[in-house]
Amino acid sequence: MSQSLARNLGGSRSGDWLLSALIGLAILLTLAPVVRLLIEGVTGPSGLTLQPVVDVMSRPTTMSALWHSIFTAGVGTVISMIIGGAFAFLVALTDVRAKAGLVFCLMIPMMIPPQITALAWTQVMGPSSVLLKTIGLAPPLGSPQPLHSPLGIAVLLGIQHTSIVFLTLRAGLRSIPPEAVEAARIAGARGLRLWWQVVLPLSVPSLAAGTAMAFVTALGNFGIPAMLGIPAGYSTLPTLIYQRLAGMGTSVLTEVAVLALLIGAVALTGVVLNRLFLRRRAYGLIGLANRPLEVSLRGLRLPVELVLWCVIFAILVLPLLALIATSLVPAYGVPLTWQTMSLGGWYEALFRQPVTARAFGNSFALATGAAVVLMAICLPLAWVMLRRPSRLTRAFDLLVDLPYALPGVVLAIACILLFINLPFTDLSLYGTVWIIFIAYIARFFTVMLRPVQSALAQLDPAMEEAAQSAGASLGKRLRTIILPLTAPAAAAGAILVFLTAFNELTVSALLWSSGTETLGVVIFNLEDSGETVMASAVSVAVVGVVIVLMGVIQLASRRLPKGVVPWQN
Amino acid sequence: MAELTLTGLGKRFDSHVALADVTATFANGEFVALLGPSGCGKTTLLRLLAGFEAPTEGDIAVDGTLVASARTGKLVPPEDRNMGIVFQSYALWPHMSVARNVAYPLEVRGIPRAERQARVAAALEMTGLTDYADRAPAALSGGQRQRVALARSLVADPSAVLLDEPLANLDLSLRATMQEAFAAFHARTGATMVYVTHDQTEAMAMADRVAVMDKGRIRQFDTPEVLYSEPADAFVAGFVGDGAVVPVEPCGPAGDGSARVRLLGQELAARTRVGAPDRLCIRPEDITLGEEGALRAEVQQCTYLGGRFRLRLLVEGGLDLVAFSTARLRTGDRLGLTIGRPWGFAGEAAHG
Repeated sequence: MSQSLARNLGGSRSGDWLLSALIGLAILLTLAPVVRLLIEGVTGPSGLTLQPVVDVMSRPTTMSALWHSIFTAGVGTVISMIIGGAFAFLVALTDVRAKAGLVFCLMIPMMIPPQITALAWTQVMGPSSVLLKTIGLAPPLGSPQPLHSPLGIAVLLGIQHTSIVFLTLRAGLRSIPPEAVEAARIAGARGLRLWWQVVLPLSVPSLAAGTAMAFVTALGNFGIPAMLGIPAGYSTLPTLIYQRLAGMGTSVLTEVAVLALLIGAVALTGVVLNRLFLRRRAYGLIGLANRPLEVSLRGLRLPVELVLWCVIFAILVLPLLALIATSLVPAYGVPLTWQTMSLGGWYEALFRQPVTARAFGNSFALATGAAVVLMAICLPLAWVMLRRPSRLTRAFDLLVDLPYALPGVVLAIACILLFINLPFTDLSLYGTVWIIFIAYIARFFTVMLRPVQSALAQLDPAMEEAAQSAGASLGKRLRTIILPLTAPAAAAGAILVFLTAFNELTVSALLWSSGTETLGVVIFNLEDSGETVMASAVSVAVVGVVIVLMGVIQLASRRLPKGVVPWQN
Repeated sequence: MAELTLTGLGKRFDSHVALADVTATFANGEFVALLGPSGCGKTTLLRLLAGFEAPTEGDIAVDGTLVASARTGKLVPPEDRNMGIVFQSYALWPHMSVARNVAYPLEVRGIPRAERQARVAAALEMTGLTDYADRAPAALSGGQRQRVALARSLVADPSAVLLDEPLANLDLSLRATMQEAFAAFHARTGATMVYVTHDQTEAMAMADRVAVMDKGRIRQFDTPEVLYSEPADAFVAGFVGDGAVVPVEPCGPAGDGSARVRLLGQELAARTRVGAPDRLCIRPEDITLGEEGALRAEVQQCTYLGGRFRLRLLVEGGLDLVAFSTARLRTGDRLGLTIGRPWGFAGEAAHG
């Protein structure tokens, strides 16, 4: 009742109509592909049937890929939990120095595209590692690349997603009121006992949430198992889908749709189990956590700091050094010395190869386009969802994460199914750049929407009511009050969208065709065809762009509302 | 400036009744305070006037023109109501300078630049902000922000200025200064002002008339003096001013606005509007302390208020009263007291 009345209060009715159209469009963009995929899995030529599901599930390759996915993602998640958990506890609870630097460095692996992570790590190990050759530690030729193994995939998945566990747990730790810990200290608890009996139990929900997120993300990861698993003949579900589709073309669409549904189901199971677990473990934390906890490590501080920075060196600096080293040799396998050092690979990759230049252009245009379009949609949309909530907006709020949470291959297959034949026409978007663009919009919707939402939610509603009383219509208010006040958050969201889209491989790996390659695809293809030096050069360039853009957000973070920059609280 | 008329106004949020059966007229140029505990409906009433909420019963009229009516469903949106509003949080727009904040209502109305500048300058001058025109709101103190909000609410010559607990975020010393500023401001502009507060001192100090609200209803709407000396019921007597409400036995009218009542066996005269008051509101000023006195009492507590002491007394026969004393007394001291001409009214039951 009060809602329907509230909706009448807005003033300009045509504005309201536009806003409803907007939310309709948003729902269509984000949810239609997923719905289309579901339909494909359960229909045959003669209507509803579970035959495709039964067919695919009874194949041994399906079952082994499923097991491989669960194994690599599971072991990887344990690794993420150990590294990310240790970092979170130490950074959030103790007096180690240079916290901002630690957090920033730990964030970089998540922002670096997984295929580059895999490439960089293969340059750290194995017989042809330029880095190892240069320092004379390379194993003899012919010895196996240790990373081309299930454990290798798991370890890199673990490193890639460490920051997810770290960020979630740190946010949880920050919401623990310091009084809870101080009371335990007054009661006489100290050191590990304090951590074990008070801090850990209170942080279990956020640790579990971060772990579940890391698992789901690892499950959907394509770049790492593709770069490390395919050479070893070890398939996970995403790489199996890729191989089937790349080998057989669209004739196996129904089969890969079922595989996509399978991986989506495993991911959702992870999320649901986590929710069930959390429901039993949720504590109401009373008290404002405005003062961060800071336990003094005293004599242990320096050793702890050394260990933390060593870990950063091992998981970030070392692979990047190896990548840079590889990008600077004239031919793969030659040791790097002052005499052999050459920018030939860089020159060839960035200026000679038309496909890399095209990919830079494509990725840049796609990422910029996605960021701009999403910014234009999300600002008014977030306003509608906050100020004119309805059943529709609440449902959308729940579901908008789905295209992002579901593994990228799932969305890619869903988009192929939906756009291979545009409804009511003979047109097809498959093979054009538009299918990638629409998939990006759907996938990164939540990356843009959430920062804008949190900025809007922190805005005092009285700001807008004051403008309304001053006589400003809805459009005028959105333009002169809401837009300027949420612009910083929207800009940060746009940079995040750009970053993620610029590096994206999983979705475009299945949607690209000649002429619409993205950067992720090009790096993957270069490495696949043995052009490791050029792949490394492009990768180093991409990592450079990533670190610069992250630095821009970091520098601006002080002026941004809380919760906009994902790695800051 | 305008006259606001509320007729049978009510507001329900789902099943919760936030406001019920409010009928009142706020005269042109009057400073009205809506006073009550939190949840009494005062803010809802303000938001109904501003147009942020729609009434579920009754009408609101500005100078005789309906702006909201539950009966016809008519609802003029806030942007077309020409009201000024000052929020507890000030709600200044942080991305605009002080002058731009104040100019915004004129900009929206499409007032030409020259006139706009003149009116903004006048509003800034009236609030003592001329030197701060180009500052950002973040660079102002709490009191200054409050004055910017006030200037902004008045610059477009609204029908009425609505103030939602505007002093609640200021510290105590600043509040007194701002109270004077508001009162002076009201005197200069002659604006109709509706001021929501839970602080009785604030309401009594500034308002021409105070509407005391409880549980969504106006319990009494009168000048501060009348509220204090002639409260309509136990709630108003308890909420406004100090003192005690005690049950008495009515002994019949005594003419001339007074009645005889019996309290602990003593018969005394009470001022009243009803024939048979069964409650007395005994203010500290109504009590004279002395060695002699018809009633004997024991001091329960003695608090220094600056210049005088507030005593909580337990009268023999079981009655709690509040009195003032010029000298400090100790807990347990015994003394005599006489009660002057207290105010009598009929309790809930007799209300019908």
